[in-house]
Amino acid sequence: MSLIDQTRRLLDHADQVFAGTPQHDEIRQLRTRLDEPLRVAIAGKVKAGKSTLLNALVGEVLAPTDTGECTRVVTWYRDGHTYQVMLHPADGTSPVQARFTRDDGAIDIDLDGREALTIDRLDVTWPSSNLRTLTLIDTPGVDSMTESISTRTFEFLDPKDNDTPADAVLYLMKHIHASDLRLLEAFHDDSVSSPNPVNAIAVLSRADEIGAGRSDSMASAARIAQRLGEDNRLRRLVQMIVPVAGLLAETAGTLTEAEYRELSALATHSDQLELVLLSADRFVEATPDTPLTSLDRERLLGRFGLFGLRTAIELIQSGTVATSQQLSNQLGELSGLIELRTVLSTLFVSRSDVLKARSALLAIERLCHEHSQRAGATGLEAELERVMSSAHPFNEMNTMAAIRSGWVTGSKKQLGDLERLLGTTGTLAPQRLGLTSAATPEEIRAAAVTELSRWQRAAENPLTTHDLATAIRVAIRSLEGIVAAT
Amino acid sequence: MSNDTDPNRSADRDQQPGGSNADAVQVLASGASAAHAYGRSDLAARLEATQVRLLQSDVNVVVIGEFKQGKSSLINALLNAEVCPVDDDIATAVPTSIRHGVKRAAWAIVAPPMDGSERANVDQFERRPIEFNSIADYASERVADTDTDVRAVEIELTRRLLADGLVLVDTPGVGGLGSAHATAALGALSVADAAIFLSDASQEYTATEMGFLKQALDMCPHVTCVMTKTDFYPAWRKVRELNMEHLRRAGRETTIIPVSSTLRVEAIRRDDKSLNAESGFPELVSRLTKDVVEGAARRERANAYRDLVAVTDQLVAQFETELSALNDPEARAALVARLQEATHRSESLRSQAAKWSVTLNDGVGDLTANIDFDFRERIRKVTSEADAAIGNSDPQETWAEFEPWLSERVSFDVVGNYRFLTDESVSLSRSVAEHFEIDGGEVLEQLDIQNPAAVLARITADTSIETNDTSTATKGLTMLRGSYSGALMFSMLGTMIGVAPLTPIIVGIGLVMGRKGLKDEKERQITQRRAQARNAVRKFSDEVTFQVSKDSRDTLRRTQRQIRDFYTARAEELHRSTTEALATAKSAAQTGEAERTTRVRDIEAELIRLRKLQTRAQALSATPAASRSRAR
Repeated sequence: MSLIDQTRRLLDHADQVFAGTPQHDEIRQLRTRLDEPLRVAIAGKVKAGKSTLLNALVGEVLAPTDTGECTRVVTWYRDGHTYQVMLHPADGTSPVQARFTRDDGAIDIDLDGREALTIDRLDVTWPSSNLRTLTLIDTPGVDSMTESISTRTFEFLDPKDNDTPADAVLYLMKHIHASDLRLLEAFHDDSVSSPNPVNAIAVLSRADEIGAGRSDSMASAARIAQRLGEDNRLRRLVQMIVPVAGLLAETAGTLTEAEYRELSALATHSDQLELVLLSADRFVEATPDTPLTSLDRERLLGRFGLFGLRTAIELIQSGTVATSQQLSNQLGELSGLIELRTVLSTLFVSRSDVLKARSALLAIERLCHEHSQRAGATGLEAELERVMSSAHPFNEMNTMAAIRSGWVTGSKKQLGDLERLLGTTGTLAPQRLGLTSAATPEEIRAAAVTELSRWQRAAENPLTTHDLATAIRVAIRSLEGIVAAT
Repeated sequence: MSNDTDPNRSADRDQQPGGSNADAVQVLASGASAAHAYGRSDLAARLEATQVRLLQSDVNVVVIGEFKQGKSSLINALLNAEVCPVDDDIATAVPTSIRHGVKRAAWAIVAPPMDGSERANVDQFERRPIEFNSIADYASERVADTDTDVRAVEIELTRRLLADGLVLVDTPGVGGLGSAHATAALGALSVADAAIFLSDASQEYTATEMGFLKQALDMCPHVTCVMTKTDFYPAWRKVRELNMEHLRRAGRETTIIPVSSTLRVEAIRRDDKSLNAESGFPELVSRLTKDVVEGAARRERANAYRDLVAVTDQLVAQFETELSALNDPEARAALVARLQEATHRSESLRSQAAKWSVTLNDGVGDLTANIDFDFRERIRKVTSEADAAIGNSDPQETWAEFEPWLSERVSFDVVGNYRFLTDESVSLSRSVAEHFEIDGGEVLEQLDIQNPAAVLARITADTSIETNDTSTATKGLTMLRGSYSGALMFSMLGTMIGVAPLTPIIVGIGLVMGRKGLKDEKERQITQRRAQARNAVRKFSDEVTFQVSKDSRDTLRRTQRQIRDFYTARAEELHRSTTEALATAKSAAQTGEAERTTRVRDIEAELIRLRKLQTRAQALSATPAASRSRAR
């Protein structure tokens, strides 16, 4: 029986145990949640570019973005047949429909005079193909904590197993030094999820700013992301770090024909473009003999940023792109958006059943814990324990978390290979084996068999520590699964 | 001395108060040769030392700001040279100072290899010449891989901007402004002449930046706020407005200079003047040269002129005594008697039992105890706070945040303690000055025949040392301020002391599978970890306390020695002035009539010359007070 079916059965059991209690409704919701798209929250510090990234992923400017702090309420964006915004009050009363207008693309929701604090969340239903596989949750973001640093309670981030409204999280972080006290601040946002390498990835946001718009900014950002990804503190919290130039990603996802024409005009008509693009001020300053007014230029600058303008104009001038679609693709590639989508699909979407089951099981665990006196709760908990410890995907996740937390000791290569086999780079067989996606079934099988005997030898080696051997046995089980499937 | 009488030149000087350093050196040289001519080599030596100080005076400008705000880029663009390594990721790791030199050269300040338990003393550091091209290997984080323990990098470069003694110090921005590094940078600020505070145009000042800036403005007389990367961020004007508002709300009316290092580099490459103006650098350069360097030079010159006034005072007094002995043979006996008493008094000024000396020795003793107590008290508070924090959490989970918090908190107290030390040293050297002034004044009263009050007034300006420079004032501290090793010491604080890492208590992976068991096991181990964490904290505070008490004792000892040497030299000078006056007064009795007339004429001529020099020195030294109060 698959994990998701086991989870359904366990929910049925819980349904009986908690029949007629206030928790009953919650269990209902857990069950419907299993059939819904995976919920991915976008978290991070204030001004990290969360709403911008959300718009980029949706491919439509939905969430309002501004230089000020503008997302003040947790907002869910999900696919649906109609355009609708539901407002869930914090006092638990039933949700009400909220009016909204679209202001310059972004949705402007009328809170009807309510304080942000009195609202639990906003639920935006929006027909969109990109929301079909993922429900996205925009969060207000954590405030800077350094101000009260000496008095705050020390809240750190050991991978915690708690149930949360989101199944997976994207943590947005700015480029800060590894020794900075605030390196981990982005992960303090536990309003929707707590960080855990099994369901979290970090995004190095505003990647184009790292090189202050130099043409190699993105390459530079990729290097930094890679190095940060090797930092042990971050490895305990997230699976990997992906650099994304948020603004450019958003614009790439929502590029209009008109904008493409304006860029083409600039690319072909202006003399001394290099000098014009030297600074933002210079770009905005229009002269009578050049195309576009200052107002138009300011708007373009706001959409692309200086780095985006330089890149786009260069792409058009060199003839690399000839249509707005091509430009959109190129910018999407360059901004890291495509890469982020791939990562989301290999790490989250492909295992959405496991992640959703995990969320549901953790919720049941909490319910059992909170209501341990209730008749049948002990039996339910025992069954839960059995599902959680016997489900191989969970063992893979837990083993991975254990390796990342430093609980398993071994050589760096050995641990890296183990992590890969356990699915940190993707759960498909070629990804686990480190093969290309073009690998034939025969190649996959051969590789799996080789790996299998390597790890079996390692597990039986008397010098292998007990913990490492345990981890290896989980990986062997994964390999056996691959061999059996080919 | 021919230029003394050039009216045009003095008219110029009235417009440009204090003249230039070269002028000052020339005036001092004439004073020194006069002192030589009158056989007072001690006074000449003093003026010669002043000349050297004037020529070698450094103006340390520390560049501070968060990680990745473009500190190194700014310095490179300012100097048009690739001196500070710039990288998107790898940060500057050690303080890098750039000063003027006849040809470009670089040195790494390397700490001797330690066996772990010992801490390096600043005196033991080696200044090792390095290739100019390999500066990045020493100044950036990459060097962390090698065994060489680089603590600082010093660079000499031939640049007109640096020629007047400007020394730019690039600081590591690593760790963020809330970290131990930043607190160390604040410490470095207290001994710097000025600071440039950098923040890029990407967003308004954060709470951390504002907090840091406020402290910096308190500690350093001259902080220039600079906003970088204005080429890249279209909204820089808005951000600048917001920042000015933040400063205004904090009660700091100061401007923020917007600059773009990219435009500056491009402007130099294209030799484009208007682009250079667009980059904002001309304003920054003029701020540095006009306000900072020129301001410091003015102060330095004023002190030099005061030295000269003091020296001429003694020479004048000596001649006047002789003159009155020659002119008034009847009063000669009384004069000799008074001079004898003056000699006696000046003799006692030199002794160990002199009031100023007792005040100094007692004061340093008390101070040592007070400083030590202050620090132990601070550390005690930190330790109990840390204990409480450990008691409320699982150290394994919180250690990653706890450790930097602890270093930051402790560094804060180290700097606080240091400020206490400097404040107390200032007041100590002030009371020493008062005692010396009173006793020394009496000596001079005895010495001066014609107008005791005037001389007393003049000598007051000398003994109370730079009294009108109240903030940094006294001799004992001149050594700390502007001394690069002082700045160095503080910048290194972050790297010198580290909290021992917790050895992780390994949880068996078997337990990970059985979830309930894991939770119980975790609970059980917390107690053990707390004990381990408390131990680490205790060990850390012991080590810091040891290191800091040693440093402050050393600092106090150096201060004491400096104050003592200064006043001993003054006492020697006074004593020599009185004995010589006594000798000449006595010998005047034996002088024949013809000889006497010649001598009187000679002395009168010398006095005219000396007074002229003195008047000029006084005029020159009087000007900078006004400009200084403006700077603050």
